[in-house]
Amino acid sequence: MESNSLELDDIQSGALHERPTPYVGTYLLLRIDDRAAGRELVRRLHGLVDSGKTSQDPAHGAWITAAFTYQGLEALGVPQDSLDSFAPEFRQGMAARAAELGDVGQSSPPNWEKPLGTPDVHVALGVLSSDQARLDAAAERARRAHRELTGVELIWRQDCYQLPTGRTSFGFKDGIGQPSVEGSGLPPSNPKEKPLKAGAIVLGYPDETGELPPMPSPDVLGRNGTYVVFRKLHTKVAAYRRYLRDKAASREEEALLGAKMVGRWQSGAPLALAPDADDPKLGADPQRNNDFLYGDDLRGLKCPAGAHSRRANPRDALDGDGSVDVRLHRMIRRGTSYGPMLPDGELEDDGVDRGIVFVFAGAHLKRQFEFVKTQWLNDGIFVGAPLEKDPLVGTNDGSGRFTIPEVPIRRRLQDLPPFVVTRGGEYCFAPGLRALRWLAELDT
Amino acid sequence: MSEDQSAVATEASRPGLSAGPTSEFSLFFHVKPGEGESIRAALRDLQETPGYRPGDYGMAIASIHEARFVLFDDDTRLAFVTSFDGSWDAYMDDFLTSGPTLALFDAIFSHTEGYDGLPDLAALQAFVLGAQQTAAAYARNYGGTVKEIRKAQRVNDAFQQVLDDPDAADALQHPALKPLLDEAAD
Repeated sequence: MESNSLELDDIQSGALHERPTPYVGTYLLLRIDDRAAGRELVRRLHGLVDSGKTSQDPAHGAWITAAFTYQGLEALGVPQDSLDSFAPEFRQGMAARAAELGDVGQSSPPNWEKPLGTPDVHVALGVLSSDQARLDAAAERARRAHRELTGVELIWRQDCYQLPTGRTSFGFKDGIGQPSVEGSGLPPSNPKEKPLKAGAIVLGYPDETGELPPMPSPDVLGRNGTYVVFRKLHTKVAAYRRYLRDKAASREEEALLGAKMVGRWQSGAPLALAPDADDPKLGADPQRNNDFLYGDDLRGLKCPAGAHSRRANPRDALDGDGSVDVRLHRMIRRGTSYGPMLPDGELEDDGVDRGIVFVFAGAHLKRQFEFVKTQWLNDGIFVGAPLEKDPLVGTNDGSGRFTIPEVPIRRRLQDLPPFVVTRGGEYCFAPGLRALRWLAELDT
Repeated sequence: MSEDQSAVATEASRPGLSAGPTSEFSLFFHVKPGEGESIRAALRDLQETPGYRPGDYGMAIASIHEARFVLFDDDTRLAFVTSFDGSWDAYMDDFLTSGPTLALFDAIFSHTEGYDGLPDLAALQAFVLGAQQTAAAYARNYGGTVKEIRKAQRVNDAFQQVLDDPDAADALQHPALKPLLDEAAD
């Protein structure tokens, strides 16, 4: 019988662990040129990755997560019938899903940063910590795991850190609104949302449908694993600021338009609770800043139906549709900033690369990550606005439109350009610890 | 919606033809031998359910334009044909696990071959996708989703109320209202 209680000691804690605040992090990509060396790498990683409950121990203040692409598992010699048992989207990889995901034009794989989207990406390591010293120590451990291994090459590195403002490059507090997961030991941020079934995030447990999600075989490989998506997203901060400046008559109106596009004020205060003006105390209060629904605002007069955070998680707004179970599409999302801040008030692009490394963790690539990206962020059919996409992260092309319900007359922003460009990304699988040992001991 | 927005959805994840935001969705089942009369009775029951009665306009799924169940070949076959706003493929798990529709359809599908009943999701999905046939031709006479059409109807009802006001002709003289005045004559 499958046990429903999470085997936390076998699960890489990166998926369930809340991002520290403040944070620093490093993402590393490795290529395996030699199978034996690759397995030795996995053996060493097994001793490095973190599992178990969130630790408050300050000595243990950095978390290493290891994940593999399809090509990575192939390079390690995972048998074909096992490779075939992974989700089709994972087998194809993110670059092959580009048209579906809206990664076209500037965001299309030929324009991605190398080696993202190429078959060279085999292993992805994420190291996250609350301070630089602990990050360096953990990163050094990760480096030792691959440094003296001929046959394993470090091919990409991306450092991330929380901006001094504690906000994203667009100026917003983020990391609010994670679902909590049954058995993870972390309290829910939204008292109005029941914790997700563990199987929605970790393979081997019943998910929101009450069933076991499709799991790669053999069981030892699939169980306690999770699919991980990472995307490097360049943010066009100057273009975003100029757009707001052009459309607004005052700084106050700029802030309001920005909030309408995001669904929250820059402080993190949700429009649903603070519709007229920012409320920094509310934004800073984790007990309150995610404690709301949209049922009393179906017309979107407080928070537009097309606002970014309402699209990403419509909460109860679609309950009357009879065709959507929002909980099936909930996921763990984790954004970390890279690149320096564009100086406050600067409206000209300084040519510096900055943005977000977006990370998803969940049991269903298609039903969670791809569904939200394609149906809710890149499309507006679900809110009865097929011509509108997410005003902030949607695949707008300069002709985008965004409706802001308002009494007496709605406001409509026109000619939305893209504010986010995909620099690349990968679909990965983060195995459990037993699975890492199984991978290290493969003898194919 | 313009014609060039009608496109054959070729991605494996989005079967079916679409016209603008709407896609066709057609399922063809075999009725279990000898259950022709029972399935007719089940369909009569559905037709008497609130939302599905003539004139109700309130089906459980708010994103379908219309739906029909057709028995054919002497009640040995059943077709379910509908038009759906968005990608029905993306919403398949939602249909199969949530909302009131599934319980309503269960009484009908239980008379068809290959249906193992609720709630095995994988089996249910295989049952539905196994019955799906993509249309050879599909066209629509209006663009717009159900949500947009309903909004348009509310707006027109409001406009007609305005026109019934004795002061409407004067009020509509303002230049900003010219597009409405252009629609006011008939």
